[in-house]
Amino acid sequence: MASPLPNELGPDPAAVEKQYADLGALFDRELAAAPDVKALRDRWLGRKNGLLTFSNDHWLKPAPRELKPLVGKLQNALKVRVEQAFEEQARVAAGAVRAEPGLDLTLPGPPRHIGARHPVLIVQEEIQDIFRSMGYSIAEGPEIESDYYNFEALNFPDNHPARDAMDTIFITDRMVLRTHTSPNQIRIMESHRPPLRYLVPGKVYRNDAPDASHSPMFHQIEGFAVDEHITFADLKGTLDYFLKQLFGAAIVTRFRPSFFPFTEPSAEVDISCIFCQGSGCRVCKQSGFIEILGCGMIDPAVYSYVGYDPERYSGFAFGMGMDRVAMLRYDINDIQLLFQGDVRFLRQFR
Amino acid sequence: MRILLSWVREFVDLPESPRDIAHALTMAGLTVESVAEEQGETIFEMDITTNRPDAMNHLGVAREISAVYGRPVRRPEIRFHEDARPAASAASIDIADPDLCARYTGRVALQVQVASSPDWMRRRLELCGVRSINNVADITNYVLLEAGHPTHAFDLDTIHGDTQHGPRIIVRRAHPGERLLTLDGVERTLQPHHLTIADADRAVALAGIMGGGETEISLRTRNVLIESAWFDPASIRRTARQHGMHTEASHRFERGADIEAAPWSNDRIAGLLEQLAGATILNGIIDAYPTPRARAPIRLRASEVRRHLGVDISPSEVERILRALGFEVQGEQVIPPTARLDVEREIDVIEEIARIWGYDRFPLTLPAWSGHVEPPENARPRERLRATALALGYDEAITYSFLSAAEAERFGSWPAVAVRNPLSELHAVMRNSAVPGLLRAMEWNLNRGVSDARLFEIGRLYRQDGDGFAEPPVLALAATGSDFYGLKADVLQLLEVFATGPIRLDEAVPASYYRAGHSATLAAGDGPVARLGEIDPALAAERKLRQPVFLAELCLDRLYELPLREPRYRPLPRVPAVDRDFSLLLPEGTRFAQIAEAVGEREYLVRIEPVEIFRGGQVPPGKYSLLLRAVWQRDDVSLTDEQVNEYAHSLMETLREKLGAEQRA
Repeated sequence: MASPLPNELGPDPAAVEKQYADLGALFDRELAAAPDVKALRDRWLGRKNGLLTFSNDHWLKPAPRELKPLVGKLQNALKVRVEQAFEEQARVAAGAVRAEPGLDLTLPGPPRHIGARHPVLIVQEEIQDIFRSMGYSIAEGPEIESDYYNFEALNFPDNHPARDAMDTIFITDRMVLRTHTSPNQIRIMESHRPPLRYLVPGKVYRNDAPDASHSPMFHQIEGFAVDEHITFADLKGTLDYFLKQLFGAAIVTRFRPSFFPFTEPSAEVDISCIFCQGSGCRVCKQSGFIEILGCGMIDPAVYSYVGYDPERYSGFAFGMGMDRVAMLRYDINDIQLLFQGDVRFLRQFR
Repeated sequence: MRILLSWVREFVDLPESPRDIAHALTMAGLTVESVAEEQGETIFEMDITTNRPDAMNHLGVAREISAVYGRPVRRPEIRFHEDARPAASAASIDIADPDLCARYTGRVALQVQVASSPDWMRRRLELCGVRSINNVADITNYVLLEAGHPTHAFDLDTIHGDTQHGPRIIVRRAHPGERLLTLDGVERTLQPHHLTIADADRAVALAGIMGGGETEISLRTRNVLIESAWFDPASIRRTARQHGMHTEASHRFERGADIEAAPWSNDRIAGLLEQLAGATILNGIIDAYPTPRARAPIRLRASEVRRHLGVDISPSEVERILRALGFEVQGEQVIPPTARLDVEREIDVIEEIARIWGYDRFPLTLPAWSGHVEPPENARPRERLRATALALGYDEAITYSFLSAAEAERFGSWPAVAVRNPLSELHAVMRNSAVPGLLRAMEWNLNRGVSDARLFEIGRLYRQDGDGFAEPPVLALAATGSDFYGLKADVLQLLEVFATGPIRLDEAVPASYYRAGHSATLAAGDGPVARLGEIDPALAAERKLRQPVFLAELCLDRLYELPLREPRYRPLPRVPAVDRDFSLLLPEGTRFAQIAEAVGEREYLVRIEPVEIFRGGQVPPGKYSLLLRAVWQRDDVSLTDEQVNEYAHSLMETLREKLGAEQRA
């Protein structure tokens, strides 16, 4: 490169200082106008042909002894300044993307969609998390279930009207599609001794023709605890805590007497309507409450099927429809949407 | 059931508002679903649980609310004159099968004027949803709604007798094949396990369910025999179900009627017949009650009340509640009223106390805990698979566990478990494949203009397993807007959850619904772990699928037997890898597996990978172009250019010799 620089050092300190001042000014001009920082860096700091190498070789090295300290100082100062300038440039380049003209920041990036969890399973995970924190284990059981576990050991005698409410789907005379998750109370109690705390989620089946609020397949979650000294007040406390975790601390729970063959006393649990806060609306049919689960103290008759001493142990059990919770939570008005696999629906739960 | 508030108010003082009363009943366990006003009447629509047949009537509801409010109940007053002639001279009653009929009472009413009922009675019946027929039938229905006991009125002159006895009622099992025309006009064929009411010659009623047509009250009826009995609940239920019948009477008898209400109801009907139909009531009630029943006392321990409920309720409060519900209380011994067949044990009594004391008064406590938490079976691998599928962009689906028989036949690998009482053809069997459900979903999405649906489902399949059933777990994927290679990469990513060891590819078509040459089976260890590919174009055409659909099925029962892949740290290389690209021309039909095999294991060669494949253009026919990248790495020192050039040269020579590869200019 043709050097624009004087080939020799000026004769006196003033000339030397001007010489370096000119060189510094040249650098500032070129930096400001530089189209290509890398080329400019080579031009100034290049090991063989860089301008500062030139000044080093042609000005500093041959400088007379009396001028050498001054030239050395000026040469070094300029070199530090140039290096710092390039470092600064590199920092800017490596930092935030430079807002070059032409980059439209409002354009969307390329989509990278993760899949969406199914709303019923989102609800299931939340419920499991709440109960895990209270020491509940999680288990599953068969969906094709025997009459014994689905009915008999749960204190539903043969030819009992309570069976009518279940609209059972049969596989054989003695095998059914489980109508609830409660058979697992028996299965788990048979193979474990108290103290017990279990949660059993899963699919259940009823012979209901599909429509907006019915489905022959849906999802329940069963919970139960058996120990010495478990009371009805514990049942209320546990479910009140759970429902407030699930629906928010602002809700109110209400326990009403009810009937299930395998619990005594039995209760239906309502929560204050999450849509109108209890003042009455379409969802709660103006009652201010929404029925949310069934529960009760495990009937001592059930213990006789699993060989527990009913005078020693007591416990509670509850069961809840998770599809219904998902529908309430997300304002879904048709249960069929849950089972159609329509991605326009599923993607709303990302 | 519908309950008229004004009717309840006849039996108990209720100054409270309808809303308050409805709330109090609901909180005591008799659910009032809605409160309506019709024709100036307040009507409660009530949902009464199957264990409380005693409350399925107005007096029963009154008893319950009286216990809640602590007020007395007034029973309806019964008043009538009895004629001097004894009822037993006009009819006789025998119970031949006391195991199925514990009590049968009869009263005889003569000179009955059958006509329409007075307006007040018709109005109440109709507001309760019962059609008015004539005064005699209406009176039996009225008493049913009032106090809950089902009764029946026979035209006495149609009951056959014999010379010794006059008209006879015999409660007996049916003769095999015996026929009876019931009031609904259906001729029924009976068997010995069906209990009938018979006269001297024939069955005249299906006991506790429905009367017979030949002995029905008509406008010509003059004399009436009133039946008020108690039948065995299980027998009534079995018989009603077998005949596909469900009546107001069977509904109550099968839930358990009050044996002491039988004579009372009969008297109540006699009084109304005299008052409203001008009947003459013969003297006495015929009461066939072979073995009078007494309710056994139940021991109620205060300690048990405390243990189950977790609160102290004072003995005087317990006694007040139980007496208000009609229990007799003597120290620890309590005797429930005869109407409350659901109360048999100490725990049943404790529930009564809790219910009336008020569930809302119990404190909220949490039980102490001394157990441990067990990890759920297979939850870890399942959650990792699920997280991976979600990360790969598959949405989580849940499809029905039912299939049509045709779907099961076409897609299943084993005979499907049949449903005995399916809702429809689409619900005929339990699924033996996850494919039909996802395929339906893909069809649904494509028909709605979604061209990039990606779904996964983790669920169960069902099959017969010896005498029992097995429910093997499965993971299935379905995707449109993808291709075989994308699907394959996704499946391999999912399989990486497990320590599978090397995975082998079997190119045979895995099942008839896959497209040959575009589908494969993946195996690890000693068996297949997944199958995947494009669906058969014939199937796609049949379903009118607008785009190719790709499927994959992972056999989770096999995979769950494998350990999860546990990452293990290997020291990081200190120098970077070096790569070289080869632009190759290969004879058409040369497969990547052959190239990999030809290259084999080489010193410092880390991997080879296909970068791009071309056909056509400058590439001569019978050949294809592959841009192949090879990567070398030495952990300790850098490989020199010369070394890598040498490796590359040797690699190229091998490809040339073994596969006839040429290097493109």
